[in-house]
Amino acid sequence: MFKAKPMTRLFMAGLKEQMASVIQEIYRQHLFHVQGFSEARGEDYEGFRMGMPLPGAGEAAAQLVTVRGLLSTLGISRETPESVGKKPAPEVRAWLETQLPRIRNDVENEISRRRSILETDRKKYDELCRIYDARLAEIQKELARIEEKAEEIRKAHADWLLASEELLMADVEQKEIPLQFATTEQAFVAEGWVPAPDAERFISALQKATGGKIFITEVPMDEVPDQPPVEYNNPSFARPAELFMDVYARPKYTEIDPTILLSIVFPLFFGLIVGDAGYGLLFLAMAYGMRRFLTGPEGRMLLTNLRNASLSSLVFGILFSEFFGFRLPWAPVLFSRHLNIGGEAAAHGPAIPELMVLSIWIGVLHITLGRFFGIINHARQDHGRHRTLAVLANVGWLCVMWGILTLIWSQFALPLMPDLTGAPSAVLGLNLAGLGGAVALLAGIILIARDSVLEIIEIPTIISHVLSYARLVAVGLSSVAIAMVVNFIAIGMIIQPQLENLSALGIVIIIMGVLVFLIGHTLNIALGLLGGGLHSIRLHYVEWFTKFYKGGGEKYTPLGMIRRFTED
Amino acid sequence: MVETVAVETVAGMTPEMIAATQMGLKAIGAGLAVGLTGLGTGIAEMAIGSAAVGAVAENKDMFGLALLLTVIPETIVIFGLVVALLLLF
Repeated sequence: MFKAKPMTRLFMAGLKEQMASVIQEIYRQHLFHVQGFSEARGEDYEGFRMGMPLPGAGEAAAQLVTVRGLLSTLGISRETPESVGKKPAPEVRAWLETQLPRIRNDVENEISRRRSILETDRKKYDELCRIYDARLAEIQKELARIEEKAEEIRKAHADWLLASEELLMADVEQKEIPLQFATTEQAFVAEGWVPAPDAERFISALQKATGGKIFITEVPMDEVPDQPPVEYNNPSFARPAELFMDVYARPKYTEIDPTILLSIVFPLFFGLIVGDAGYGLLFLAMAYGMRRFLTGPEGRMLLTNLRNASLSSLVFGILFSEFFGFRLPWAPVLFSRHLNIGGEAAAHGPAIPELMVLSIWIGVLHITLGRFFGIINHARQDHGRHRTLAVLANVGWLCVMWGILTLIWSQFALPLMPDLTGAPSAVLGLNLAGLGGAVALLAGIILIARDSVLEIIEIPTIISHVLSYARLVAVGLSSVAIAMVVNFIAIGMIIQPQLENLSALGIVIIIMGVLVFLIGHTLNIALGLLGGGLHSIRLHYVEWFTKFYKGGGEKYTPLGMIRRFTED
Repeated sequence: MVETVAVETVAGMTPEMIAATQMGLKAIGAGLAVGLTGLGTGIAEMAIGSAAVGAVAENKDMFGLALLLTVIPETIVIFGLVVALLLLF
């Protein structure tokens, strides 16, 4: 929670003859994030050279190229395997030895070569097609026969080819790992990172794989200069929001990871902007309907985010009493957003001032939270005098924001905000509360200037960033307005007058009205999806992250792979 | 009542006419607020958008960031919309 997965730094050294089995075990564990060795590493590594690939790397790479060529010739893709069973690796190797050359021969001679010759022929004869119609038919037939043959081979060997591609890829990757190790004539040395909870298991697995003939130890680390690789450590409900984090930047190891808050606040903002039960239901259907087309892990994460956002829109739609711009049979529980279009909401117009103040409150609290995170981040990552100044500057920003707020409260009575106009008066036309606000404002400016004088010119961004949260209401209201106008034009102006005295022409006009209704709402749904999503994520990226979040951590990419077609 | 009559004679308008004129001017102001800020946003997004499309053409991974950078000037038109809403309600 709020912290990247703890990492342990490992250092290992062993004999070169052990390297192959060590690599195999590392690869099987899929835990070790290797810190690549470069020869300009410094005096600690004097005499070491970059490792050479393991024997057989070239052969494996060549075979991989062959298998990939076959996969592409036969049109087999990883995404649509015809069988998903896993093959044992030794069998795959045996298959590679015995079957691959034959299939390769088959495919090259009978399919690739013939196919390309025939394709050229077809083009040529297409031009002369009147004369050569008969020949063309023959070619088509033969092409079809060859496709059949290809289909036959595909059916028989697709799963084997996929399995060998995976196996060979693993082989090639493993054999090239020594390039990231430091080696001497006899020995090798590797450094890297393993998640702390898995370190014990990883070490003992390596000891076992080498029969205890490897030296491996945990190295004490200093988080700030070492910057371990970063793997998210979030509860499962927050995982889809990691997508939005990676679009911005992966957090540093030492930084607060705000993914959990992002995963909660983003759907809330989206719901507040869209706030329509009908659109919420449509988005929900979209989130489930698109699952068939977006199968990758990132697509799935996006759809899960969309699902959360649409559930939130549904809830806010019920609270705002909105359904495709119509009102639901109850009065809005939250402030009304019903506009007075076509005399619809004559009873209760929109509560614009209250909604605006609500959005300002959300902004003030969100930014305050961001500044608190900023204080924690600076306290964790900086050192010495700079650390104190940076922490105090963040306190200063908070003082300025709340000082301005208190000054406003002392002068004007606003809905939903504390009314401090009644405080006993003090100097310069300010009352006591206003004086407090002014003092906080000045103190804040001094604290900011102590860290960096140039930051003073950024002070107006406090107001613009807080006011920027007004988009939560403004974008939402504009989408309500579009929905209500579409309803009024389609039903109030086109359909209803025709229904009163029905005629043949009237039915055509009614169909036109239905079309207007559908097109208008489709447009508004697209706008709502784009506006709701972009504006909520932008509030996070621009208004919130700039207060505390830098990012730029290295992604944790352990050696090894998730196997889909093979097993040991 | 006396004052109303005085206003009527000075401006030649009834109170209803004055109220309607005020409402109309507010609507014009609201329209100007949204329209002009919309133009401002458009001009700002023009440069960002073309640069963003260029970046995406070179590297598709930039898409998310490019979309985000492009909508940053939306703030201007949002402020216009806020002003318009405050004028009208």
